[in-house]
Amino acid sequence: MPYDMTFKRLETQALLDLKGPQEALAAWAGNALPPFPDRPNSKTEAGGVTLMFIGPDHWLLRADLDHEAPLETALRPAEAPPEISLVRVSDTLAWFRITGPDAAEVMAVACPMDLHESRFGPEAASFTEAFALRALVTHCKGGFDVAVEQSFGPMVTDCLARITA
Amino acid sequence: MTEGNRLATGGRIDRSKPLHFTFNGKPYTGFRGDTLASALLANGVRLTARSFKYHRPRGIVGAGVEEPATLVELMGDDASGNRPATTVPLTEGLAAKAVNCWPSLAFDIGAVNQLASRFIPAGFYYKTFKWPNWHFYERPIRKAAGLAAAPSEPPAKGHYETRYGHCDVLIAGTGPAGLMAALTAARAGLRVMIADEGSEAGGSLLSRRLTIGGVDAMDWVAKAVAELAALPNVTHLQNATVWGYREHNYLMVAERAPANPSLLERTWRVRAGHVITATGAIERGLVFGNNDRPGVMLASAVQSYVNRYGVAPGKRAVVFTDNNSAYSVAADLVAAGVEVRAIVDSRDAVPDEARAIVPGIEIMAGKCVTEAQGTRQIRSVAVAAKTGGSARILSCNLLAMSGGWNPTVHLWSQSRSTLRYDDPLASFLPDAPAQAVSAAGAANGALTLQDALRSGAEAAAKIASVQPPAIPDAPDLPYAMEPLWRVETAKGKAFLDLQNDVTVDDIHLALREGYSNVEHVKRYTTGGMGFDQGKTGNINIIGTVALAQGLAMEQVGTTTFRAPYTPVSFGAIGGLREGTVALPYRHTPITEWNLAQGAFMYEAGARWRRPGYFPRAGEGLQEATNRECRAVRFGVGVYDGSPLGTFELKGRDVGRFLDYLYSNVMSSLKPGNGRYGLMLSDDGLIMDDGVCFRLDEHRWIISTSTGHADAINGHMEEMLQTRFPGWNVFITTVTSQWNNATICGPKAREVMAALGTDIDLSPEAFPFMTVRDGTVAGLPARVVRVSFTGELSFEVNVAPRHMRALWAKVMEAGAPFGILPVGSEASHVLRVEKGFLSLGHEVDGTVDAYDLGMGWAMSKKKPDYLGKRAVAIRREAGGPRRELVGVIPEPDRQIPEGAPLTPGGRREKTEGFVTACVWSVVHERWVGLALLDNGHARHGETAHVRLKGGEVIPVRVTAPCHYDPDGDKLRS
Repeated sequence: MPYDMTFKRLETQALLDLKGPQEALAAWAGNALPPFPDRPNSKTEAGGVTLMFIGPDHWLLRADLDHEAPLETALRPAEAPPEISLVRVSDTLAWFRITGPDAAEVMAVACPMDLHESRFGPEAASFTEAFALRALVTHCKGGFDVAVEQSFGPMVTDCLARITA
Repeated sequence: MTEGNRLATGGRIDRSKPLHFTFNGKPYTGFRGDTLASALLANGVRLTARSFKYHRPRGIVGAGVEEPATLVELMGDDASGNRPATTVPLTEGLAAKAVNCWPSLAFDIGAVNQLASRFIPAGFYYKTFKWPNWHFYERPIRKAAGLAAAPSEPPAKGHYETRYGHCDVLIAGTGPAGLMAALTAARAGLRVMIADEGSEAGGSLLSRRLTIGGVDAMDWVAKAVAELAALPNVTHLQNATVWGYREHNYLMVAERAPANPSLLERTWRVRAGHVITATGAIERGLVFGNNDRPGVMLASAVQSYVNRYGVAPGKRAVVFTDNNSAYSVAADLVAAGVEVRAIVDSRDAVPDEARAIVPGIEIMAGKCVTEAQGTRQIRSVAVAAKTGGSARILSCNLLAMSGGWNPTVHLWSQSRSTLRYDDPLASFLPDAPAQAVSAAGAANGALTLQDALRSGAEAAAKIASVQPPAIPDAPDLPYAMEPLWRVETAKGKAFLDLQNDVTVDDIHLALREGYSNVEHVKRYTTGGMGFDQGKTGNINIIGTVALAQGLAMEQVGTTTFRAPYTPVSFGAIGGLREGTVALPYRHTPITEWNLAQGAFMYEAGARWRRPGYFPRAGEGLQEATNRECRAVRFGVGVYDGSPLGTFELKGRDVGRFLDYLYSNVMSSLKPGNGRYGLMLSDDGLIMDDGVCFRLDEHRWIISTSTGHADAINGHMEEMLQTRFPGWNVFITTVTSQWNNATICGPKAREVMAALGTDIDLSPEAFPFMTVRDGTVAGLPARVVRVSFTGELSFEVNVAPRHMRALWAKVMEAGAPFGILPVGSEASHVLRVEKGFLSLGHEVDGTVDAYDLGMGWAMSKKKPDYLGKRAVAIRREAGGPRRELVGVIPEPDRQIPEGAPLTPGGRREKTEGFVTACVWSVVHERWVGLALLDNGHARHGETAHVRLKGGEVIPVRVTAPCHYDPDGDKLRS
């Protein structure tokens, strides 16, 4: 039988791209953010909001779309000082949720990164590659969430459908 | 047909599962567990192939991937070409045929080559087929020498896959050393992947009758496999060949029978912390006259057929060897009821332990087989003293030969690790590793069972930093070989490489002609080339070269072992990437709408699939494009401009950063205003063009061309990280955060008003090159007054989640004004009419801003910017420049883009070329753009296009802008 997994494209997620020194961001954000992750390529969660450490002085804030407006109200991107950058990028990524017993097998088709639990634990979140596209990969319950540049969404759907055909 | 050579008992076949198959159209039966080769031998089929060059009759020589002679073409659902019969698992209904023979295997016209063989030695192609040129002869030669054709259709069912894999240690081979290594590493907790090309684990143990720890060796294998299967840290693949070894311990594994039934084959791309090559050894043949006749087989293969498949490959056998290993073959043949006439041993002294296992068999020490006799099947062999003299004829229909063992060092060598020649083993062995790799077992020269087990355990223990386990007792004959590189023979060709039909004489010819380096010998003779990669013949070739040149083996050296180790399906390499996903593609939210409208879609840069035009019934490209252009020029059109690269820049230093990137000044922009600009490369050539808007004091947004978006992003990051690391600039890609519907044409403002917006649309409140945030059609939007068509335009940007709604509302609000969707073809026409540049057309990697008449974009105020100095230096040098001009064909006709301009249309050095030529709906005629030497000074002149074939088209040279040169319309 084919892979025992399911995939679905998630609704648009609320995303804010955060750049700048952690201290400056923390000072500006107050308690609007989860604690900053202490390791690169890891994430923290609080109140339905996830903060992913995706690069030097670079974080991505993720939540369900209904958090978008409250987060923008709290974080005031347009008013932020020049030392930091907060940009709404909710629509830039297409998210896919891959779950099921064979989710890791399907991810091994898509992604060259080692996603074994000993290397890529529950707290991991990292940009890598999926289906030869730049992709953000993180765990979800029972599988993985994969995000690619939004315009590649139909192609990733196409690829996943082929894998499961 | 009955299976006349099938033994009554024994073997690892399932006799309760008979299988039916055909070979060359003739029906046969075999059993599950057979290969095509074992089933053919069981059915008494001896002639199975014709050789590559001379079309000599050939039979089955090996029992695995080393098979050099019998390649078959599979038909039907299994269609594939050039498969060694020894690696084709027998299945019900399998249909196979021999390759490289016509009209039949038994009567092959190509066999006439044997008569002319003295005239077609190695290298004769190179010398003979030179005039008038090689291609004149190429097709018939390739056909004559060809192998099976590639299947004309992809498999009807299933698909291929590639996947990634990771492990602490990858072990290639599940023979005794590989299994011992896997057990040791896995017990120590390492993530282990073990892959083996065979259909079941065991390696050489599958074919031999040995014991480990006092039990049958295959019982030990079964126990080891079961233990590995129970460990969660082990991935065990059979039917999986590790065929390529790349840098950074990146290896390719072809899995030919994945557990997932929808998969035909699968390639694993494995990144391993450490690699153990436990790939065993391949027996080499012996070199004597007619050593390729059907019935001459590798001794190990004979043993494999007897013990693993329950097949006697002959009734009366002679064994020819230079080492001990063939003695166990002789013993197994006798046990199977095969008459062994004699063991011909080139060694003068045969060890007692070897003699002890073959009581009653005549041993002819210090003797050699000088010739195999028979044509389509061996009938007898001639045996003479090693030193010469008269020959004794021994009748037989099977000759089992063993010229020693070559450690399988292909993967080791592919890793760029070095080899050394080992005199006692007369083989090349792994030497210094170039990566994190170890060799174990026979692949490392451990040619007895106990040594192989110990070698595997020690290799893994070292990696895992544990003590190696105790090694069970595993009795085996010592190897004890004395190399015999060739037998002096007067009759018959002595083959070194059976797959490529390379003989001893070919090697000697190459040496006589000066090809003394082993790499040159390889290329001149083709010995060791092809997918065989010298598995059986390479070392005999080296030995022949060494003998002829009086060199030591290590002085001759080896050729390079190349991937793949065995043939790999193209499908398994490509995997999922076929059909619609062969290349990446990008859609905007409007793609479905475009397709529903019947748009002709194609890729238009950076993998975006965009509508070229929207044909109506009966329209072709030109008619549809004209209609769309008229809508924009005289009414209103809308296009989806979402793919343009868009970046938000934030920080105190963005202004001066943009001043450095663009050739004109951006820092002086007031919030809400924008400017068109050029980005130059270090050499002063135009890299990209786009617009830049200031949102507030520290936030800016810039757009780039679609195709260059990623490159410009990288360029900006590089500038920041290498030249201005201390500058306060943050760059965020927002290309897909903003989709846009660009409403353009004289009625654009009316459509905007009909959509409903809280933005004052008047030219005074919202002039050209400004940006406003607000709502449009009830949607949050950012509207930009920018024009790429030369018309009044409103670029309405919304989040992609709103794009479909916006588009529907634009089409609805624009309907009373006759709004039409506009594709890339119309956009191209409109920009040519306007004289706007296009990257890849007018910007061809040679021109600068002055050439394009855009000197105004080269700031005179800024002290420096990227490319400024290079432009100045180049222009100070003087000389003619190719400059952008408009061209009007006279007479009125289309000119192909790229057509050259030559002085007077003569056949001379070009003075430019036509960059674009379109039908202008404004002028109702063809207009174009061109880059022409000193073009700016030649307005009003006539230049000449010279087409291929010599046709000349006069063109009137004009200013580049054919429409609204003052820009009144776009500013309206």
